[in-house]
Amino acid sequence: MSFFITFYLSRIVGTQFFSGTGEPLGKVKDLMVDFSQEKPKVIGVKAKVNSEIRLLDFEYFDLRRTGSTYVIYCDKIKDFTPPENLNILYLHENIIDKQILDINGRKLVRVNDIRLARLDSGSFAVAVDVGIDGILRRLGFAKLLHKLLAPFKLTVPSRYILFDEVEAVDSSTFGITLSKPFTKLHTLHPSDLADVIEDLDKNSRKAIFEALDEEKAADVLEELEPEAQVDVIDSLSTEKAADLLEKMPADEAADLIDELEDEKAEQLLNEIEKESSDDIRDILKYEEDTVGSLMATDFISFNEDKTVGETINELRKLKPESNTIYYLYVVDKNDKLLATVSLRDLVISDPSTPLNNIMNKNIISVFDTDEVDSLAEIISKYNLLAIPVTNKDMLMEGVIVIDDIVEDLLDKRKTE
Amino acid sequence: MLKKFDKSTGKTILRNIAIFFAILGPGFITGSVDNDAGGVTTYSLAGSIYGYKLIWTLIPSFIVLLVIQEMNARMGIVTGKGLADLIRENAGLKLTFYIFIGLLIADIGNTTTEFAGVAGSMEVLGVNKYISVPIAAIMVWLLVVKGNYKIAEKIFIVFSLALLSYIVSAIMSKPEWNQIGTSIVNPHVEFNNDYLAMIIGIVGTTIAPWMQFYMQSSVIEKGLKKENFKFVLVDILIGCIATVVVAFFIIVSCAATLNVHGIQINEAKDAAYALVPLAGNLASIVFAFGLFIASIFSATILPLATAFYVCEAFGFEAGIDKKWKEAPEFYILYTGILFIAVVIIFIPNIPLIHIIYLSQVLNGLLLPIVLIAMMLLVNNKKIMGEYTNTPAKNIIGWAAVIILIALTLLLFVFLFL
Repeated sequence: MSFFITFYLSRIVGTQFFSGTGEPLGKVKDLMVDFSQEKPKVIGVKAKVNSEIRLLDFEYFDLRRTGSTYVIYCDKIKDFTPPENLNILYLHENIIDKQILDINGRKLVRVNDIRLARLDSGSFAVAVDVGIDGILRRLGFAKLLHKLLAPFKLTVPSRYILFDEVEAVDSSTFGITLSKPFTKLHTLHPSDLADVIEDLDKNSRKAIFEALDEEKAADVLEELEPEAQVDVIDSLSTEKAADLLEKMPADEAADLIDELEDEKAEQLLNEIEKESSDDIRDILKYEEDTVGSLMATDFISFNEDKTVGETINELRKLKPESNTIYYLYVVDKNDKLLATVSLRDLVISDPSTPLNNIMNKNIISVFDTDEVDSLAEIISKYNLLAIPVTNKDMLMEGVIVIDDIVEDLLDKRKTE
Repeated sequence: MLKKFDKSTGKTILRNIAIFFAILGPGFITGSVDNDAGGVTTYSLAGSIYGYKLIWTLIPSFIVLLVIQEMNARMGIVTGKGLADLIRENAGLKLTFYIFIGLLIADIGNTTTEFAGVAGSMEVLGVNKYISVPIAAIMVWLLVVKGNYKIAEKIFIVFSLALLSYIVSAIMSKPEWNQIGTSIVNPHVEFNNDYLAMIIGIVGTTIAPWMQFYMQSSVIEKGLKKENFKFVLVDILIGCIATVVVAFFIIVSCAATLNVHGIQINEAKDAAYALVPLAGNLASIVFAFGLFIASIFSATILPLATAFYVCEAFGFEAGIDKKWKEAPEFYILYTGILFIAVVIIFIPNIPLIHIIYLSQVLNGLLLPIVLIAMMLLVNNKKIMGEYTNTPAKNIIGWAAVIILIALTLLLFVFLFL
């Protein structure tokens, strides 16, 4: 006999289950679900049998529907030992009433109920109920309210999210360590993930950061608000924190380190590879509101003697990141800033042309000691995407990109 | 060598002061909001009816307040979660629902009380309530929804110094210091329902349930850490002292004037009026100004905190940095609480004093429930790890719960006898 039933966890927990002959055997307390498979499958039942709490094998349980109520049957009471290395959670204990991440909505939601389905191949957790309907069902008002509203053709808003699209993130409520936690988090954009992490408690933040790969973790760390950044860095081991800081742009890393306590900052700077830590220390020397504190120190510059062909070859070798490749600078042998050159001009020019012929000597630049406040006016006046930064001798020190200026403006508006 | 040592200790002291000011806030603000319109009303009534007799209640209130706020701060720092979060996650939906419905109703009553305070204090200063209340409500709403709450909070901290004006009022009313001393050393206890209700009122307004939620959330928002706990404690201590000192002087100024001359009052504003012939016009204006600041400060924070923790418990998006569309439930709740409070004030011939009194009693009834929830949470090893309560704190906490429940039961017994 094959049939398909959907049911709610709230209607199962606390109800009795019976033997085939209709004898009451015990009460269902919770369902154990294996999350390592594609569809989260129910594998165990926590039940109260003769006033003793036992974990039973779900294999021998069955659910039948009579009218609008469900009856649970159990053929054989058999203790269950879950296999190791599975992502096992209890639905009631670990998921109900807890916060869970809605991957598509990119926000935390609270689980009011869980919808399950009984198929031939077993029972599966299908969706979490995060709507008002779920709250009413738990309170025991749902059926009554549906009846009252039916004559007016009104319904209570319900909202479900499929289990494929959620991730349990509140590690403090797991009670057990998952073997492969947070696998779906990788699909989120670092900025979105950062927003979610800011809303989580610090224990969960730590757990997520430890699970992310370094590249992703560094991207997310960069996007966090300063307070959350400090919190995360403080919670990680010095080694791990140093690894992440190395992967961040020096100016962002410097901003973060500036927020830390002196002792911790020094500890981290010593742990970070010398090349990166030197860059960071250089930036840290600048006063907070000067251009130097905001600039990126990885920029691309070429000697004026080079030809277009040589320049393009060098670019191929450097494989610069997309946010630096559009701003190319020409310097003399002492690193003195001479001109800018556009990617467009490089691409359309003959490879043998010297850079000298196509470069734009009419440049706008700022000093590293200038005030940050002056930058917005300059980029808007000259329609720039980036401004080169030099010291008083016109030696090139770094670049200010429009993103950094916008971010700075937004931050100021927030705190004013 | 010695010189170097001196310099570094000087630096540490400076650094500690800097850390302290960065942390100062949660305890201090909670302490200030504590003396809201409901508080001023209750303390004024206590002073005018019982004279100095009830001053002793401030001492146990202070101890319990201190212990509770310390638990809030500790829970916030250790778990990083709000009290509403913790209750929902550990008590289940049903219990959470009923607790929060109770809190919501009490807080609508409390907000009404705040606007009654605005109305009363502005009437003393010569402004009609039909003008002052809508303007105040709209200003509060705009400030939170359109303006910058963070700056507002800082302005409020400065303004809350105005509460110290009660000290001026009290001293101008020339109190009998030796009687005050006697009342503290040798507490006077009566067993009748008026006296018990007044005690529950004083405790309920000094340790209002919603403040525990507010306190814990602001500790988290400040991002405070375990290492800074001693500064957090100092902050809490200052907040609690401020609360009790202000309460003390309100009781004293009303006791020294109104009670001595046998003047009965119904509202806090009556106290302000009644002070005119006894302590001079200035004392009255100072009293009214203090009441106005206290009311408007709490009228801003209370609906906001309520909307916030209700959303937290039921999983709706919340926060003033969210847009209306992103967090509709939050804004509807916030606006709704303000709106209902203002409407209640405008009902003609409404017995405001009864609403104020009822909301204080509801506070008093909810307090033991919230306290029990807190005591269970803070002693849960799964949640708090090694930071569960020490035996001493458990004794104070449970004693407070038992005494409050006993007082409430006694009150009901007297009411129905």
